[in-house]
Amino acid sequence: MQNPLSALVIHDIKNALSLLEIDLEQLNHRKDTPLEGRRAYRRCIELKTRLVSFLTLYKHDQSGLQPAMVEVDLAEFIEDLVRNSQSAMMAESHHGHQIVVHADNERMKPDSAAGGFGMFDENLVELALESALNNAVRYAHRRVDVWFEQEADEIVFRVLDDGAGVGELGELMQRKIAEKSSSTGLGLALCKAVAGAHGSGSVRLESVSGGTLFTMRLRAAG
Amino acid sequence: MANLPVQGINALFSGGFIENEYVHFNKLSALVIDDISAMRHAVRSQLQSLGMNKVSVASNANDALELIKATAFDVIMCDYNLNSTSSGQHFLEYLRNENILNATSVFVMLTAEAEYSFVANAVEYIPDDYLLKPCSESKLRSRLERLIDRRAFLMPVLKALDAKQYDLAVTECNKLLDIAPDARRRMDVLRRKSDAQLALGDHLSVLETYAHAAAVRGDAPWVMMGLARTHYALGDFAQAAEMANMLVGKNKNYVAAYELLAKIRLEADDDEGAFELLNRSSVILPSARRFRSVAQAAFLLGKLEDAKSNAEAAIQLSNGSMVEKPDDYLSLAQTQVDMGDHKCAIETLEKNARKHGDVGLFGVAKGAILAQAYFDSGDHEKARKLMERSVSLLANRTDSVAMVALGKAALKTGDMVLGMKLLTQAVQVSGQDERIIARHVKKSMIDTGHADKVEDVIDGGRKRILLLVDEATKLMRSAHFTEANQKINEALGIHEENLEALMTAAQLHLLWLKHEGMDVRVVERAKAYLSTLDKLVPNNQKVMNFYRFFNDIVSN
Repeated sequence: MQNPLSALVIHDIKNALSLLEIDLEQLNHRKDTPLEGRRAYRRCIELKTRLVSFLTLYKHDQSGLQPAMVEVDLAEFIEDLVRNSQSAMMAESHHGHQIVVHADNERMKPDSAAGGFGMFDENLVELALESALNNAVRYAHRRVDVWFEQEADEIVFRVLDDGAGVGELGELMQRKIAEKSSSTGLGLALCKAVAGAHGSGSVRLESVSGGTLFTMRLRAAG
Repeated sequence: MANLPVQGINALFSGGFIENEYVHFNKLSALVIDDISAMRHAVRSQLQSLGMNKVSVASNANDALELIKATAFDVIMCDYNLNSTSSGQHFLEYLRNENILNATSVFVMLTAEAEYSFVANAVEYIPDDYLLKPCSESKLRSRLERLIDRRAFLMPVLKALDAKQYDLAVTECNKLLDIAPDARRRMDVLRRKSDAQLALGDHLSVLETYAHAAAVRGDAPWVMMGLARTHYALGDFAQAAEMANMLVGKNKNYVAAYELLAKIRLEADDDEGAFELLNRSSVILPSARRFRSVAQAAFLLGKLEDAKSNAEAAIQLSNGSMVEKPDDYLSLAQTQVDMGDHKCAIETLEKNARKHGDVGLFGVAKGAILAQAYFDSGDHEKARKLMERSVSLLANRTDSVAMVALGKAALKTGDMVLGMKLLTQAVQVSGQDERIIARHVKKSMIDTGHADKVEDVIDGGRKRILLLVDEATKLMRSAHFTEANQKINEALGIHEENLEALMTAAQLHLLWLKHEGMDVRVVERAKAYLSTLDKLVPNNQKVMNFYRFFNDIVSN
């Protein structure tokens, strides 16, 4: 895409796709929308998410991501992430039953000095966490919890699903493999790129008691 | 905040919109500004499906401006990339500068990814929110719900701000501070409170507000910037610079901090340093206003090439847009004359600036600069005619910029008496622009070979007045009102219509009443100063604010 024409074409496609998504979104407001219309909406979202993830990773490889640091209220950010998550919305189509995605207020720990505000690129972090959420929702049995923990110089985001039990490392490994080859998840690579763009961030996926825990750490700017 | 289980796919696909218990979208009006019709209509249908019935659209800033002037929209959704010459950021800057945007209007900037990091770094004229476009309806909904919810909490304050009742706004802020449920709300209120106090020119109180905000969250950029500006206004340049440098250390794109540092450099007579800082901010966030400041700083430093290229950039960036200023052509032409390029100067004014005509004060300055150019070209007769026309066009109006141009032309074409008279007057009537006009006058005199008379022309009692006003300001800010008044009276004794002295006198008397309570004599004097100011500078924003402040105090 160093070729300016390719860049232009890709962004044109992305914009057209986004407009299509809005059209389908509006169509889906109608009660009588046929199943195909709903499926088209889902596919369109998946396709756009994949394209945006790909473009983000491509930019990371070519020139590095340059995060636009803005002040974010962490509790509001998590609440909005969960509320607007397209993966969460589409969970039922994978499982046949609903997956409850919780913004877990009990676990949220704002740092007393920073007051629950953080400086980071909210769009990049949202993209990364949405991909983690997408992964969690796929493997969850019933429930996914999302929260943040804030320390003096670090913001930690966590996504916990009740999918893999204790010691089920086999499943974890499988998931990591799926993560790499999955057509929807450019997953961990994307999360790592986003964490890395915010200084010395890190990403980890581990099996814990009662499920699997995804952790993304961002070094707080300042 | 309650835990929010996500609605399952059926809930979201079930049709119709889910009514929010706080936000009634059907009562809100919105304006969508986007040059791409598909995008405009997409956003409009999203807003409509949120329940908004009154959604207007505009495809460009000029149409949007007319709509905003006619209607107080609750929500304005503006695309960042409006067209090749003006951006949503320029538009917002214009709306805020001209006080067109209601405090009660929520302004949301829509940006594409490529622009986002650039846009999000803007610090001076920030919208209420940024949204990466296009965004899903559910995201749009949650963002708007939050914004409208915050607006609802602030509503009494915002209404007072829109009515320009700043004292009332401060009172309303204090009421809200008692009931603000969390830090974010408290910070929202404190920010509006500082805005109102700044509009009142009440620096003593605004410092307390910033201290209060810093106790809630000390590292909030607006608090640091506000503190830096207030220290600057109070004459504490060292502390202002320290704060501004801290901001720049945190964010090297913090343009407002560079601009304040440039002002501090100017106070220290470091013109070169100021020029470099201004130049840096115009590179980070190019705008016609910034190119203008760089052009002026460069011109005064004699860096004519830089002055020329920045004046050209200002013209190019603002051409045909609402931020266009005919004076840009005057700066460019004067620079070209000084570079010895009278041909280009004539072309700039006669050809490129034709659409701005040649009447009014613009006509005075245009004729004066053209006279210089024709004089240089050897056509002294044409120069003489142009001078005559400009002098009669100026009549007995007093305008510093026109007088500087005409004074310089008079000196250059050999009319010493007229030149000295105009330049002396230019400084005397320059009011708040005194510092910068004095520099232009000084440069004009040196350029025309009259360096020896600079002191006489610029001073005319000015230095003494400035010194007294300065002393009075310091006394006023430490609440020594009687002593401050003595100094002001002395200053007004030298030149009774000196704007700076009159402004300070008015402000002094208002603060006096606010902090020491009612006193009939002080009220009468305040009234007298305000009416003199109203005659000298009609419709001046600052004077109007003083009036409102005065009415608030007297009615309480």
